[in-house]
Formats: sequence, structure tokens, C-alpha cells
Amino acid sequence: MSVVYSRRLKKELQEIQIEQADPAKRAAGIQLLQAEDLKTWYFSIEVLGESLYKNEVFHLMVRFDPEYPFKSPAVQFVVSDKVKPPVHPHVYTNGHICASILGDDWSPTLSVMAICITIQSMLASCKKKELPEGNDDYVRTAPDNPKKTRFVYHGDSV
Amino acid sequence: MLDIASLTPAQLYELNQNLLDNSIPSTNPTMAELAPLSVLRAEYEGNSNSDSFIKQIDYLVAQGYEGIRRSRGDGDCFYRSLIYAYIERIFSTQDRHLAVATSISTLEALLPTLREASFEDPVIDECYEVPRDLIRGIVEPEPVSNTGQTLTTAQLLEVFQDESMSNYLVVFMRMITSAHIRQNPTEYEDFLIHPEVGGKMGVQEFCEAVVEVMGKEADHVQVTAISRAIKVNVKIAYLDGRNKDGRVEFVTFNHAIDEEEAPLTLIYRPGHYDILDKRSIEPLPLDI
Repeated sequence: MSVVYSRRLKKELQEIQIEQADPAKRAAGIQLLQAEDLKTWYFSIEVLGESLYKNEVFHLMVRFDPEYPFKSPAVQFVVSDKVKPPVHPHVYTNGHICASILGDDWSPTLSVMAICITIQSMLASCKKKELPEGNDDYVRTAPDNPKKTRFVYHGDSV
Repeated sequence: MLDIASLTPAQLYELNQNLLDNSIPSTNPTMAELAPLSVLRAEYEGNSNSDSFIKQIDYLVAQGYEGIRRSRGDGDCFYRSLIYAYIERIFSTQDRHLAVATSISTLEALLPTLREASFEDPVIDECYEVPRDLIRGIVEPEPVSNTGQTLTTAQLLEVFQDESMSNYLVVFMRMITSAHIRQNPTEYEDFLIHPEVGGKMGVQEFCEAVVEVMGKEADHVQVTAISRAIKVNVKIAYLDGRNKDGRVEFVTFNHAIDEEEAPLTLIYRPGHYDILDKRSIEPLPLDI
């Protein structure tokens, strides 16, 4: 099992590194910050062009377990002194994200880059900066790993 | 008394997961050895509601179908059964080299359509390598182990019993199915129904939520799409326990280039697919 997941991750990492070195291929606004091992990767994400998040930069933490890619990775925004999660109706203040592709709609045909792009477009299409309903309750009781949360996905699917 | 409302999200998740895990007995192998249909029959015996199922099983045996190869009932059973039957059949062809070359070129020709369906290269590559190496291994000795031996049916089964290898094969089949539907939207769009809540779905929505996600069962649309894409005849015996006289409906999907080509046969019981076989035990390894 672990052989498989590292095989996939190595390929994805290679691909990302090739893309990042080539401005023509790079997904604008998404940058790999750190991938020292095949367990946890960090990306920076910003929405280029006009959006509610103009000039804001966010950090995304992606954690893999040996069941990747058959199970989704755990993905959340980093919350630290330096970076804050976006204020968004699907993003809790602890960095957890409610997005169906990270849960029920995850498919092994998706990739880490596909997740980053989905999250970037979730921000780009946001109409109003507001916290999710029940943010405080959720943050108080939330498990450390967002994958342990059973989110109920709301209407405007992402 | 358990009050669900008082549970934290983590506890709810746990509860949910336990229910799920218990509903799918994970002790079953992802793919089992061939067994006589009498084993399946025995499971229905002694239950008065199962008379018509038993009659249907007897009907199949009378038609020459004596064996069943079970695929785990985890929602991936159709895709896993079909690719198993697809690869395993090559072992019994007259000209294995030709059959290997034909099936590799069929699968290879699908790769551009996977790219057009916007699957990413690393994903396509890693999924394609699994069936390609298995099929090639039927005639070419495996380079890695360096034993000079070609693949045996026992080894094929072993690979299918490896959870992650089996998953790759399923993902590959799901990608092909999805790409085919996406490429021929007009032929499928009237038939894309949400499997749980009913109601029509768009092509992209259907492919993303019903075809590409693991554990989602295949229905008529997916069976049609995959059999057209990989150009095979598929014949499914429907055991629904409805026909009191025990007759079994066969549904055929004939998309092989040669119409007369023997179909890959599956057996369907509500919610589940297995492989139906004319043999009742594993064939002995036969060197050619």
C-alpha cells in the first residue's frame, strides 16, 4: 500500500516541480512552498485578478496517509502568526474547509494540484466574506484532522 | 440512550464510519477464487423466500454456467469483475500473443481520450501501467523479478487481491467509462439519473459524482459506456428472484469488433456483480 501512495505522490511532485519551473505551465497564484517528504506538503494560494481576496496570500497544508490516492488527503488552511485562513463561508477559523471533493466526492482521478485549483476558484467566486454558520461551535469541538469531520455540504458545491 | 445531537462531529464521523465498515464485510477478498455455483445455491437454501433465486441458479447451471468468481461488494465490483474477466480471458485464447497485442493497442488508443477528458498525465500513467503490465506479463516474462516466467492465472488473482492494485484497475476502468460518456454526451445525457435521489444529472456532474468516485455502483449507462470503449461483448445474467419459473434474463451489450466474439459474462444480484463462468474450479496452469 505505502509503495503505491509514494509512487503516485512522487509522480505528482515531479509534475508540480516541472510546472513550477515553467511560467507557461504554472497554475497562476499557486505555488509549492514545501514538500520535504511524502506526508505533508504546503502550498501558497492567492487569487489573481479581481476578487474579494485581492492581495491576500494563504497557505494550504496537505497531509497524506497511505491510502492516498484512494482516500482524499487532509487539506486545510494554515493558521499561524504569519498567515491566516481566508474569511469564507466554507472555511472555518481553524483552517478547516468544507468542500465536497475533500470528502464524499473525492476521486482518485483528482490530484493535489486539482485540489489547489478547486480551492482557488472557490475563493475567486466568493460573493461575500463571511464565516461559516456555526463556526465557533465547530472550532471548539473540531478534531485536529478535518477528515474526521462529517461535513454537510451546502448548496453551491465546490 | 444515545443522543445523536449531543455528539461532536468527530464522534459522529466515528459512528458513521463504524456503521459503514460493518455493512461491508472487509474480510471478503477483493476478488475470490472460482467456486461452483452450488456454493451460491447453498446460501439460498432453507430460506422460503429464496425459491425463485434457487430456481434461477439451477437455470444457469442448466445453461452450462457452473462457476462464480466473487468480487467484494464494495460498489466497485462491476468494474473489478469486468477488468478481471477481460484480462483472464486472454489466457484461454488460441494465440495469446495476438490477444495481448490487440488488447494493449485497444487500451493504448484510449489514453488520448482520457487526456481530453482532462485527467492528468501522472494519474493516467500510473493507472494504465497496472493493466498494461499484467496483460503484457501473460506473454512476456516479468523484467523485475527476472525469473523468466510469464504471468499465471494464480498470480493474476493475487494481484487482484492486493487492495491497492485492485483499486488502480478499478480507477482505470472508471476513467475510461467517464471519458467515454464525456465524449459522447448526446448518446447518454437522457439517461443520467442520480442513483440515490433520482432526478436528471448533467454529463459532467454524473461523471464526477457517480462514475469517478470509488464505491459508486455501475448501472446500465456505465456498462454500455465501458463495453463500447474497450470494445467487448458483455453479457449479464440478472438474478432478481422475480421470475417464478426460474428463467434468467440475460442483458447483452455487444460492442466487440467481431460480433461473434464470446462475451464477458457477469452475474447480477440486486446491488452486486460477480463473474459468471462455465468452469467451476480454477483452471490448471497450462504452459503453451
